[in-house]
Amino acid sequence: MTQAPRELTVGVGAGGLATADMVLNIGPQHPATHGVLRLRITLDGERVLKAEPIVGYMHRGAEKLFEVRDYRQILVLANRHDWLSAFSNEIGLVLAVERMLGMDVPERATWTRTLMAELNRVLNHLMFLGSYPLELGAITPIFYAFREREDLQAVMEEISGGRMHYMFNRVGGLRDDLPSGWLGRVEATIAQVRRRLPDLESLIVGNEILHARTRGVGVLDVGVVTSYGVSGPIARASGLDIDLRRDQPYLAYDEVFGADGPGRVVTRTGGDCQARLEVLLEQVHVSLDIAEYCVQRLGSLERGPVNVKLPKVLKVPEGADYVATENPLGMNGYYLVSRGEKTPWRLKLRSASFNNVAVLGELLEGTLLADMVAILGSMFFVVGDIDK
Amino acid sequence: MAGSKKRGRSLVPGLMKGMATTARTMTRPAHTQQYPDVKPDLPPRSRGVIALLAENCTSCMLCARECPDWCIYIDSHKETIPAGPEGGRDRQQNVLDRFAIDFSLCMYCGICIEVCPFDALFWSPEFEYAELDIRDLLHEKDRLGEWMPTVPPPPALTAGAPEATEVAAANKPARTPRTRTGPAAAGGPDAAATAASPPARPPERPPAADDGTAP
Repeated sequence: MTQAPRELTVGVGAGGLATADMVLNIGPQHPATHGVLRLRITLDGERVLKAEPIVGYMHRGAEKLFEVRDYRQILVLANRHDWLSAFSNEIGLVLAVERMLGMDVPERATWTRTLMAELNRVLNHLMFLGSYPLELGAITPIFYAFREREDLQAVMEEISGGRMHYMFNRVGGLRDDLPSGWLGRVEATIAQVRRRLPDLESLIVGNEILHARTRGVGVLDVGVVTSYGVSGPIARASGLDIDLRRDQPYLAYDEVFGADGPGRVVTRTGGDCQARLEVLLEQVHVSLDIAEYCVQRLGSLERGPVNVKLPKVLKVPEGADYVATENPLGMNGYYLVSRGEKTPWRLKLRSASFNNVAVLGELLEGTLLADMVAILGSMFFVVGDIDK
Repeated sequence: MAGSKKRGRSLVPGLMKGMATTARTMTRPAHTQQYPDVKPDLPPRSRGVIALLAENCTSCMLCARECPDWCIYIDSHKETIPAGPEGGRDRQQNVLDRFAIDFSLCMYCGICIEVCPFDALFWSPEFEYAELDIRDLLHEKDRLGEWMPTVPPPPALTAGAPEATEVAAANKPARTPRTRTGPAAAGGPDAAATAASPPARPPERPPAADDGTAP
């Protein structure tokens, strides 16, 4: 890539030639961005001089709304900020409340939560594995990704009743017990998805055009990753070996990422768009392994409840706690401050996409405009998760 | 050029592979659903629409209060039921005038159904109630009642689930009257002892049948 400054002729025919930097607004409503993220890009010809993500077009005041709702009602909102990882969002909140209450959650609930969190992770990653090639101009992969998503959503719907917003967690466990035969259907679906995944895989990683668009494009180095607080698959694609499921185990991840568990942390060192995509793809495999392990563990657990009996009015004792979980897109944290009321006094939300998008300004500088969409898509964000 | 030669070589197997995939896919049935002709097979827990069994509703307003976005509207008035023939007293009863759910606001969380103490609200998997005008999404009492026949029975639970509270209560061995010295054991015959706990007992251990889940 040559960095030599070039001149762009803006107006021809008026007699003189004028060159100027051009300010280009990508979004807030733009087909190449998902949701309403606005990028203000200063261009010198084809080259991006400066890029500034402008957020806030989808701000819904979620944190303020949390303060006037009890903990069950908060779940409704909490699973919506990142609509592709609804189950993981619920988990962070209930874990925070349970820890402050000092509540013991039944083992079957913990394993079911782990199973569903991993299925949710697969669903999330499949979405991006389908939509990212779409942004690069390949239409086919999304059909394959959605075929797998449909099957996984069917089992999620069977247990929770929802396809995206599960509302299946409750403080102290789960809303309902598992339907009869559900574990078998989960296992069959996992096997089916795993069998058909090579179709999607060969379309994505085996594709020469996709390689050309992604290899060496948008390289994010570890220093930038740590200084911006980037997390999740994007951080791991840059070689940062960090995963809260292993480093700060919650739910049943202690065992899953233990010596003989199927869990492992996927990392790459490239830091480019291709590395990010590969991390996502491999995480799908790992998550399917973990989900299968959970199904087996659930089958061998002895009879027991999946929730605990709650008081009519649930009040969290005074104090503060911070619980972070490894959401599909990165670290998702809830800082819960309670003053002993039935609503939190403050519930701060640390969402993954906000930090992951903040780095765009650094990342897009000096790249070509044509690569902008490739880089933007590879940051794997959900706009609702940025604006909250 | 070495690059183009390599590309030329990889073109043929690549093409063959592509054709093989096409041929394989051709023999398989389509994965898509023929939606308007073939209805999707939705699980019983599917959250499609909320059905109201108005007879069970006591207008206690719990659902309206617990709704995270306050999309349930309830109006009721009190009616007096005159005393029965053999010298009772007049009773007051809530009569439901209006029960409406605004599905343009509803977030489909299911909290109203969960909190209803009298089993008046149910999920139904029906989903075909889109409207051209958003105001028509406000379903009144009779419209909500029309969904009632579509409510499926709840699915059977997995073997690992604890037995239902009703079953646990029914299987509990009958309690023998306590042989206590002092005042005679309340209840006397053991048939009465299993039916309901005496009011003096601590609230943690009522027989499972009367904790509200089994009216």
